[in-house]
Amino acid sequence: MTLLELEDIEKAYENEEVLHGVSLGMEQGDVEVLVGPSGAGKSTLLRCVNRLTEIDAGTIRLAGESIHDLDSNDLRQRVGMVFQDFNLFAHRTARGNVTLGLEEVLGMDHDEAVERAEAHLDQVGLAEQADSYPAELSGGQQQRVGIARALAMDPELMLFDEPTSSLDPELIGDVLAVMNDLAAEGMTMLCVTHEMGFARSAADTLTMLDGGRIVERGPPERLFENPQHERTESFLGQFTDFE
Amino acid sequence: MVVSGALRSLDPALTRTAIVLQSGDWGVVASNFDFLLVGTAVTILLTVSSLVLGFLAGFPAGAIEVYGTGRLRGLVAGAGVVLRGTPIVVLMMLFYLGLPIPQLGTVPGLEIRVSPFIAATLALGLRSAAYQGQVFRGAIQSIDDGQMEAARAIGLPRRGAVRHVIFPQAVRRALPGFQNEFTIVLKDTSVAIAIGLAELLTRAEYLFVQPERSTAMFELILAVSAIYFVLTFATNRTLDRLQTRYAIPEGDG
Repeated sequence: MTLLELEDIEKAYENEEVLHGVSLGMEQGDVEVLVGPSGAGKSTLLRCVNRLTEIDAGTIRLAGESIHDLDSNDLRQRVGMVFQDFNLFAHRTARGNVTLGLEEVLGMDHDEAVERAEAHLDQVGLAEQADSYPAELSGGQQQRVGIARALAMDPELMLFDEPTSSLDPELIGDVLAVMNDLAAEGMTMLCVTHEMGFARSAADTLTMLDGGRIVERGPPERLFENPQHERTESFLGQFTDFE
Repeated sequence: MVVSGALRSLDPALTRTAIVLQSGDWGVVASNFDFLLVGTAVTILLTVSSLVLGFLAGFPAGAIEVYGTGRLRGLVAGAGVVLRGTPIVVLMMLFYLGLPIPQLGTVPGLEIRVSPFIAATLALGLRSAAYQGQVFRGAIQSIDDGQMEAARAIGLPRRGAVRHVIFPQAVRRALPGFQNEFTIVLKDTSVAIAIGLAELLTRAEYLFVQPERSTAMFELILAVSAIYFVLTFATNRTLDRLQTRYAIPEGDG
C-alpha cells in the first residue's frame, strides 16, 4: 500500500525557492533516506509532511488522503517526528515527555499513559531513566526519549530530521541501533541523515536532493556503486572515501 | 535611650531640652510599636492585594502580548506603556481622585478607610501588572521555539502546547523577575501616604507630626525602614526557596 505520496511540491521562503517540483512515493514499511548538501531542502521537505511547514503548491497524501483535508493535529498524531536538537520538554521527566501526548492528545488516563510510556522507554533502552529530566540525560539518551515520545503515539510514519547530527560521535551508535530496530520491525521511516552506514544497511530507497530538486532516487547500493548523476557521485563520494 | 524617652514623657521641661539636643528618642518608638504594627499589617495587606491584582492582570497581559493579535494586543501594549510611564504617586492620586470609588467606610482593626485602599490597590496592582506582563512576556519569548514545535508535532493544539509546555517553563523563568517586582510593590505601598491611607509610613508620620513626638522623627523613620527591610528580606528568602524547590533538575554536566 502506498503510504505517503508527494506530488510536485513547491515551497519558497520570502522569494527564495526551497523545494521545486519534488515528487516521491513510499510504500508502507519503506525506509527512505534523504541526503544532499545543506540548503538542499531536506528538512523543509520533512516538515511539510507533518505540516510544521505549509507547502505552496502540490499534493501530499497519507494513505491516499490529502493531508490538507485532515485536521493538522490528527495528521500529527499519525506522523511522528524526531528532531535534530531533540526538543524534549525541559520541565518534564523522560516519562513525562512521553505521557504528555498520550494524556492530552489521545486522552488516555494517567495510569495507562504511564504504563505505555514506560514500555516505549524500555524499547529504546531507557527504562532506568524514566524519572530523569532532559538536562540530566546525555544527548544520545535524550534523542532516544525523543524517539519514544514519537513512537508512543503509534504513528503510521516516522520522520527523522538529522537525528544524530547534534550528537557526539560515541553517542550516535545507540540512536542508530534504535532506528535500525524500528526499520527491521517494519516502521515506515523518512529520514534526513548523513549516516551513510545507516543508509546502506537500513534504507530501501536513497534520495539525493540538491537545490530543492530530486537529483536521483533509487536503491542505496545503486546510488553508491553506480550513480547516474555527477552530482550524486561527488556528494556520496565524500562519504564513501572515508569508509 | 529608652529610659531617657520615658523620663521626658513624664517631664515637659525635659522634652524641650531634648528638642534642642536632638538626642535619641526610642521611647516613642517603643510605646507606639503596636500602633506601627497595625500599619505594617495594612502594608502587607496592600502588597498582597496589589500583587494578586498585578498577577491576575499581568499574566494574561504578557501572554496576549506574545500570542494575541490585533486590537486586543494593541490595547494591552498601550495600557502597559501608559502605566509604566506614569509615576506611581501620580497614578495613585489619579485613581483616588478620578475614579468614582464609593465611600465604603472603614475597616475595623486596621483603622483604614476602604476607598483609598481600593485606589492604592488599583494603582499599585495595575502598574505591577504592566511590569509583570513584561517579565512574563520576556520569559515566554525566551523559551526555545523547538519546544512549541515538538508539542505541535505530537498533535497538541497551540493552546494545549502553550498550557502544558510553554507556560510551565515560562513561569519558572519569570520567578526572578517576579521576585524583583514583589519587593518593588512592597516598598511602593509607602506611596499611599499621598492619599492618606494609614499604612506603615503614614502611621509613622502621624506620630512625628505631633509636636510632643517630633523629637522622635528620625527614630520613627529608622524603625519604619527596619520593618520594611525585614519584610523585603523575608519575602526574598521565601521566593528564593520557592525557586530552588521548583527548579527543573539539571545534571552535573
